[in-house]
Amino acid sequence: MKKTIQIPLGSQHISLLEPIRFKFECENEKIIGVDADVGFVHRGVELACTRSFEFKQVGYVVARVCGLCAITHTLSYTLAAEKLLGYEANDRIKYLRMLMVELDRIHSHMLCLAHTAENAGFEALFMQIMGDRELIMEVQEAISGNRIQFDYISIGGVNRDLTSELSALIRKNLGLLAEKIDTLIGLFDNNWSLSLRYKGVGVLSLEDAYTYNALGPLARAAGLATDVRAETSDFPYEEIGYKMILESTGDIHARNFVRLREIVNSIEICRNIIENLPVGEIQEKAKGKPNGEAVIRVEAPRGELFYLVRGSGQNMLDRVRIKTPTFSAIPAMMEVFKGSEYADAPAILASFDPCMSCTAK
Amino acid sequence: MKFFSSFRKRSPWVLHYNAGSCNGCDIEILAALAPKYDLERFGVINTGNPKQSDIFLVTGPVTYRSRERLVELYSQIPEPKVVVAVGSCTATGGVFRGMYNVEDGIDRYIPVDVYVPGCASSPQLIIDAVARALEILETKSKEIEKPFKLFGAIETIHNRLSRLNMAAKVGQNEKN
Repeated sequence: MKKTIQIPLGSQHISLLEPIRFKFECENEKIIGVDADVGFVHRGVELACTRSFEFKQVGYVVARVCGLCAITHTLSYTLAAEKLLGYEANDRIKYLRMLMVELDRIHSHMLCLAHTAENAGFEALFMQIMGDRELIMEVQEAISGNRIQFDYISIGGVNRDLTSELSALIRKNLGLLAEKIDTLIGLFDNNWSLSLRYKGVGVLSLEDAYTYNALGPLARAAGLATDVRAETSDFPYEEIGYKMILESTGDIHARNFVRLREIVNSIEICRNIIENLPVGEIQEKAKGKPNGEAVIRVEAPRGELFYLVRGSGQNMLDRVRIKTPTFSAIPAMMEVFKGSEYADAPAILASFDPCMSCTAK
Repeated sequence: MKFFSSFRKRSPWVLHYNAGSCNGCDIEILAALAPKYDLERFGVINTGNPKQSDIFLVTGPVTYRSRERLVELYSQIPEPKVVVAVGSCTATGGVFRGMYNVEDGIDRYIPVDVYVPGCASSPQLIIDAVARALEILETKSKEIEKPFKLFGAIETIHNRLSRLNMAAKVGQNEKN
């Protein structure tokens, strides 16, 4: 019988942005068992949404669940609340909301790509992608006034309008970014040392993705066609050029490629939104108090984000339930680690793009 | 030890710990280290090892489970050291103030030298804070700094503060 050793990773580690602890059961260099502990950053946002904040403020509180996909959290809550108030936003509000969500998706995917490159030992590529990412951060700051926690969406509309100077800036920066993404695609495809760390490493098969309920880019890299943007009709994604991106191999390389091609698709969506922006008010009155129960699904950068909001005609809500993409993807993640080398663990982990502050709330 | 302090001034190494933040300030710290803002031109390197660090960047209000790790990391950094609290919630609890699993700011546990406001604080502010932290680092001596809320007697070995099990005492007293 071979002896196994236990190697811990975390809760504080150079390759981790946020606290998560893994216990790897290793046989020589091979990982045969994984145990994950994700609850280090639990704050209790769900309870506070029903106890200390009124329903109009909750949208800004749930944004603080996660800094990377803050806008998606606000959007899902706002859609749920508007459903309870019986309010439907006009086309301009819908388009502006979609624009911010897609910009957020671009910067989140670029951060993940940079982080994967760093954890594979490619520091220069990390710096290059982070430098390119500033183009999007600049746009976000110009539109909303803040780089990360932009409280852009509120119940009944959005907080700032898109002027013609802003549209010009977005067009210019997206054009610059599109060229840089093209070179990045070439680099990720052809670089020999990256292919050694990425190709055939951390494979999630289609069956496993189906069995373990993978979602988002993790599932699409394995060939599982799941995307909330195609499944729901809250937003007119088809008419602004949305395409589902699928890969088939399911390794780190495929996940990187899903992200890169989604960035290209998101850039196209953003351009189409700016060209075809309808006219209308950006803020409308949504009267009343939320009464009843609403369920909303929105595609966050990491996969399906699920919100349940229940109110009983009061200022305070009865229940806010948040189910985040990383939480649902943990079983699939554990499956991928088994059978891979311990030295690949940080790169595999970064390629999932885990978000612990989402998971623990 | 003038010899070492001149090196420390030119290349302060940074330890980053997330004590329950929303990731917003963490990615802004990464953005500050990356090109465009480029904190690394001051010689700053993000290291994962507390024993090699000079500046401790903390984000987030301290959650119930992260406080022991926070105190443990703090006590493992060799003196002189500077603590920078990045973000509004790190200073006061911010939007998380009063939530049941949150301790309303890190200055209940460890002494803080520089507070950075903002939700999320911008890279310019973080660069400013690190530059300020460097000035404070020069004035500090090798005298051992203690984290707060260390219940029970502090152990000494050879007339020096023992760094062993610093954080364990926080949890032990809570149970009693």
